[in-house]
Amino acid sequence: MAPTEQPLVELQDVVKRYGTHTVLNGVSLAVGKGEIIAIIGRSGSGKSTMLRCVNGLEPIQGGSVRFEGTTVNDPGTDLRKLRQHVGIVFQSFNLFPHLTVEKNITLAPKVVKGMAPAEARALAGRVLAKVGLAEKIDAWPDQLSGGQQQRVAIARSLAMQPTLMLFDEITSALDPELVGEVLKTLEEMAAEGMTMMLVTHEIGFARKVADRVVFMHEGRIWEEGPAADTLARPRTPELETFLSAVLH
Amino acid sequence: MIREFNLNDVLYLVAAMRWTLALTAIAFAGGGLVGLMIALLRVSSLPPLRWIGTIYVLAVQGTPLLAWLFVFFFGLSIVGVEVSPWIAAAASYSIYAGAFLGEIWRGALQAIPRQQWEAGSSLGLSFGQQLRYIIVPQATRLAIPPTVGFLVQLIKNTSLAAVIGFVELTREGQLTTATTFRPFTVYLTVAALYFLLCFPLTQASRRLERRMLHGAH
Repeated sequence: MAPTEQPLVELQDVVKRYGTHTVLNGVSLAVGKGEIIAIIGRSGSGKSTMLRCVNGLEPIQGGSVRFEGTTVNDPGTDLRKLRQHVGIVFQSFNLFPHLTVEKNITLAPKVVKGMAPAEARALAGRVLAKVGLAEKIDAWPDQLSGGQQQRVAIARSLAMQPTLMLFDEITSALDPELVGEVLKTLEEMAAEGMTMMLVTHEIGFARKVADRVVFMHEGRIWEEGPAADTLARPRTPELETFLSAVLH
Repeated sequence: MIREFNLNDVLYLVAAMRWTLALTAIAFAGGGLVGLMIALLRVSSLPPLRWIGTIYVLAVQGTPLLAWLFVFFFGLSIVGVEVSPWIAAAASYSIYAGAFLGEIWRGALQAIPRQQWEAGSSLGLSFGQQLRYIIVPQATRLAIPPTVGFLVQLIKNTSLAAVIGFVELTREGQLTTATTFRPFTVYLTVAALYFLLCFPLTQASRRLERRMLHGAH
């Protein structure tokens, strides 16, 4: 990131509480355009919550979240507009089971952006080709494997032409043999220069693809730095313990 | 003046079914509109709207339909407002059916996982668009069997409208019994006619549900 350039995403002292339980306790992070950030940590460390704050799915109780200069947590912000630029893919795919793959992908472009049906179908074909599923355009979600469903979910997000993509443990619900195809899709997106924030348990993938790694612990960013270096030489005992646990 | 129960009486009973059907249609249409509003109030993100929906449902489900019919037909005329039986029936049945249909539909809407809403809102869809394109189509399949079940109840409950002067199927049966003194035959015929109305509905519901279960593919 050039020093003069404004970060695409900027979290400042973000505090998130559920009742008296503090999930995020002063989280600050800046993400530049084109950066790939891997967010790792134990379950309950607040990593998914932090990700969901970026597109306003989680309201916050303190601090600020900014995207392209817009304050996400400002009550006056039009979240619908913001979310057209921030794609998110979930652990449980969340495809619409009553719609074909094509309709899953074209729903938002048609309804939100007013795209014509023929144009939307062509778009669906293009984004499906990107995730290697062009031939599945007329399939139903329940006819696809988990890995294919997740790739359709990625294609559905891509169809809105987002500036930023959020991935919330998108391989965690997959059978081990299906993880690879989804990670490959992510790698291809990374190569195309997409800005990505991904919560993941795939440490090897984080090392290979991410520019930076953020390690979260007890609602804070405990450690962050260049991916390879941070993962090879943890500076805190907490990250060291975490890495030895996930790498066996 | 006792006479035989004959084919003419059966035809009179069949003719009386039209009031049963008309009352059911009015009740279902009015109740559907009210029910839709109640269901939307009950799933609203604004607590006061949810409270209004809840209070309505509790109040109406806790009071007998007969009482509503009396209030609208006899009650209002005592305070000087003359109400035709049709208006009184339409109002009472809409209020009554609205509470039950509202609850059925609320249940169906809430049975759709929260993540479906989330996926929709993350793509930039508004609340109304999420409801229309994502939630309602999925909830409809879940709602069909209980909705038809209630419709069948409704058909049978239209007999209560006899108290405000409607000569529908059950009332016509009473009148026929009074002249023929054949309660057994008459009421069996009445029951058979109700069955003829209800049975095709439950069958159609099963077919429709099966068809939609396959996600239309």
